[in-house]
Amino acid sequence: MQEERGDTHWSQAISSVLQGNLCWHHRHAASRGTPQDAMTADKEKRRAISREAARRRRRVESDVFGDLSRLLPLQPSVRAHLDKPSVIRLTLSYIRLQTLLKETAGSHEELGHGARYRHGGEAQDGCLFELGKETEGLDPLDENSMYLKILEGFLMVLSTLGDMIFLSDNVSKYMGLSQTELMGHNIFEYTHPCDHEEIRHNLRLTAELGCSQKRDFVVRIKSALTHRGRVGNLKSTTWKVLHCQGRVKLCAASSSVSCVLLTCRPLPLSHTLLSTHTFTSQHSMDMRFTYCDQRVTSLLGYRPEELLGRSIYDLCHTLDTSCLNKNHLNLCLKSQSVSGRYRMLVRSGGYVWVESHSAVIPGVQPSRSRPRPNPSQPLCILCVTYILSGVEEPSLQLSLDQTFQRYLR
Amino acid sequence: MMILAFRICFRAFDVCVPDDVLVEEEQSNSLPSLMTPSITSGMSSSMDMPRKRKGSTDNQLFNNPECAAFQRSVTYLFKCLCREPHSQIEKRRRDKMNNLIDKLSAMIPTCNPMSRKLDKLTVLRMAVQHLKSLKGSASSFSEASSKPSFLPEEELKHLVLKAADGFLFVVGCDRGKIVFVSESVTKILNYSRAELIGQSLFDYIHPKDMGKVKEQLSASELHPRERLIDAKTGLQVQADLPIGASRLCSGARRSFFCRMKYNKIPVKIEEKETQANTSKKKESQKYCTVHCTGYMRSWPTSQMGAEGEGEGDKQDSSYFSCLVAVGRVHSHSAPQVNGEVRVKPTEFVTRYAMDGKFTFVDQRATTILGYLPQELLGTSCYEYFHQDDLLHLADRHRKVLRSREKIETNCYKFKTKYGSFVTLQSQWFSFVNPWNKEVEYIVSTNTVISYDNSRTARSGHKSEQSGNSKASEDCKKSLPVIPGISSTSGTMIYAGSIGTQIANELLDFNKLNSSPSSGNVSPFSLTQEKSPQTLNQITNSVPNGETSDMEIPGKSSSDGEPQGASFPGGDSLMGENSQLDLDSVVGPSLNSFSTDEAAMAVIMSLLETDTNLGEAVDFEEMHWSL
Repeated sequence: MQEERGDTHWSQAISSVLQGNLCWHHRHAASRGTPQDAMTADKEKRRAISREAARRRRRVESDVFGDLSRLLPLQPSVRAHLDKPSVIRLTLSYIRLQTLLKETAGSHEELGHGARYRHGGEAQDGCLFELGKETEGLDPLDENSMYLKILEGFLMVLSTLGDMIFLSDNVSKYMGLSQTELMGHNIFEYTHPCDHEEIRHNLRLTAELGCSQKRDFVVRIKSALTHRGRVGNLKSTTWKVLHCQGRVKLCAASSSVSCVLLTCRPLPLSHTLLSTHTFTSQHSMDMRFTYCDQRVTSLLGYRPEELLGRSIYDLCHTLDTSCLNKNHLNLCLKSQSVSGRYRMLVRSGGYVWVESHSAVIPGVQPSRSRPRPNPSQPLCILCVTYILSGVEEPSLQLSLDQTFQRYLR
Repeated sequence: MMILAFRICFRAFDVCVPDDVLVEEEQSNSLPSLMTPSITSGMSSSMDMPRKRKGSTDNQLFNNPECAAFQRSVTYLFKCLCREPHSQIEKRRRDKMNNLIDKLSAMIPTCNPMSRKLDKLTVLRMAVQHLKSLKGSASSFSEASSKPSFLPEEELKHLVLKAADGFLFVVGCDRGKIVFVSESVTKILNYSRAELIGQSLFDYIHPKDMGKVKEQLSASELHPRERLIDAKTGLQVQADLPIGASRLCSGARRSFFCRMKYNKIPVKIEEKETQANTSKKKESQKYCTVHCTGYMRSWPTSQMGAEGEGEGDKQDSSYFSCLVAVGRVHSHSAPQVNGEVRVKPTEFVTRYAMDGKFTFVDQRATTILGYLPQELLGTSCYEYFHQDDLLHLADRHRKVLRSREKIETNCYKFKTKYGSFVTLQSQWFSFVNPWNKEVEYIVSTNTVISYDNSRTARSGHKSEQSGNSKASEDCKKSLPVIPGISSTSGTMIYAGSIGTQIANELLDFNKLNSSPSSGNVSPFSLTQEKSPQTLNQITNSVPNGETSDMEIPGKSSSDGEPQGASFPGGDSLMGENSQLDLDSVVGPSLNSFSTDEAAMAVIMSLLETDTNLGEAVDFEEMHWSL
């Protein structure tokens, strides 16, 4: 407010000077009689004034920008390097985030959750404190930081237009770009062009996707991380495959705060503990088995050698064909995929629910010796398949293979 | 035709673009060579508006009018050359800024009521005010914490759990005691926190998944049983390899699925999924599949307090280890429901091999047809069709093998186990392997139209309804459809051989077209084989009217083949066309690549284009545009 007043004061000053200038000009013209000189001098004066005004205006503006950036929750080192558009961008994100949080609280209230929810939150803290005593390792601060660590990924809040309203600060670990660099930008600037349609589809609010508010898709995102884990520059980015899961948060009041909450994480293939309820297999690019580990026998009844050369599509329940098809397409296009739940037929009859995590890798001999990725080898698909259920309807023979097995026994 | 037009446009574009680039390059190249110190100052003055005035005053310092004139002319020249791009840059910057300011003013409540557009400074000031007020309400989180963050940890936690649709839990490794579980569990499993904490996790796990979970809990980080997989090579690696070493120390990662019990009686307002599940009566469906991801963690017992329930757990070992994990309900948590919603009780799903043999039969077929799945499996569907429908179904069979679209059959009669006939209508589509485009099998969704035998009235009416668009071509084609069989249609032949014959026709057709037939051939080498041929096409189809001339003979030749002739032109043409187009897009670029990575990229792009063309939706769109 003060500054505004200052501003009007200033403009008054300018106008008075201008008036003075005009007077001077008249006098000058009268005495000397050389309008040319007077004109140039006049111009000079005006220029000086407007220069001063512009300087002043810029100073005021950058002061406001300074105020704004100081109000943002930024570290001083980051704050010092922000340019003006970034300040606005982050301010926008901040305001949106705050409205979002307010809405969340509001929606809980509406649902009758509110009071309990918030109360729950407090109780949780209290409870946690006790627990912290109990286990000593779980002090509240630790617990909070745990979430992102457990997630092995980052949190992303997208507006319906794809603006990244929020990214958790561990995003730099995955994309090599910091939270402040990315927040407020549009997701489409950072994702593979071929995935845009799919993202757009997922940002759409429920209409076509029925009542489902859940989102589950695989996307390629720019990563400035180099192979050695160092941060390269944005120009030399690679594509990183992320599995995005989450849900739509709808706000009935105004569509501007409807958003999509997503957890984005790389596929956990690299640290999968292969339990007895998991088997690994390799496939040619058309999904025919080229290798399968022994555990499949105890899980599905097939011997690894009888699977070789068979298509995975022969083993699946027909109703899940589309699920597998999508998985396969994802693999071909994006090189990694999560299948979601589907049914695999068991050799002796019936089926089990499974989920596969797969990746396209350069082919290697599935030997126990040193891994030698051979560039001349064709690509292949590596699958880790988790068994989710027991055998359902074991007496049913659904496929031709199953009947054959019956006869052969 | 659409494609042709596209291609021509593309060519034209290709020609245009390099020219443009060339011009720009010339400009930028010519600049440095002209530059002298005085000129650079002149240029900079012309580039920057505020400094321009300064520059012009500087110019007056030049006493020599010629020099000044020279400089002016040069400056003018530069203005002509540089002003465009620079002003463009400036404009873009301003637009960007204005855009941001507009967005900002839309977000600030105090700006909204004012109908007039506010100036930048006012908006910024209001933003400052707004932020201050937000800060005030948002309490002291960001102030107090040493590390400022956009989201208070507490809120972040909620968002993470909300996004993950899950709950955090900490379970002691030795006994499976639930040490901690987050509040969000009540919404997911319908148990309150108090109920769960202190209980054994195993009480809430499906009996058959106990072993699985025990295994995950027991295999502590130093166990040699750990088998990890290297995503790069796909090989299992031993835990002692350096790759996992650091990770294992800090806590081995865990990722597993298990079925968890949830409370049937919803305590709270529950979600759709759980509601759907609760309606289920079966015992097994009280469980939902939970994907647990997290890591092992251990604390030395010396750090632990003397009090609390942990005593019993920690006395035998010097470390208290536990699993810290997020359990998220599987995103497709109720697929059984989905499946049944998609398929009505009067429907069943079957899968045929290319020759029409049953390879998969849905159990619902039993109630409709009387056969057990194993009675149908391995037999040809033609054995069950009524003789009157054979020609029609054979035609549809052919059609479905060559088309990616779903093909509707007319009503037809299917012989049940009891000798009577059921009137069915089916939707067939051939499932094509996305990688090599081979037909894997035919999926058929069969709907019961009627059980009774008075077929003439019913199905006649129905076929009129559903097939009036196709009726004419059906009539025309019903005779030449099965050349080998039409002559013997009077005599009884083994019905199953019809399917075999149709499948063979397709194989022959494929062989003639030298399209991919063997799954073992790597698609890369495949495309390489193809590339010279497609290259020819490209060089021939240089951008003018000739293109259309070039393409059409290709089509008509494929039309001329005996099998192609029996098809309605549109469909087979479509297939041909998209295939050709794809090849020509990918073909030429192949030759220039040699490294593996490049090859990979090409394969990927091949697939991208291919699938885009192949997807049913696109296909239809193209169909209409043609």
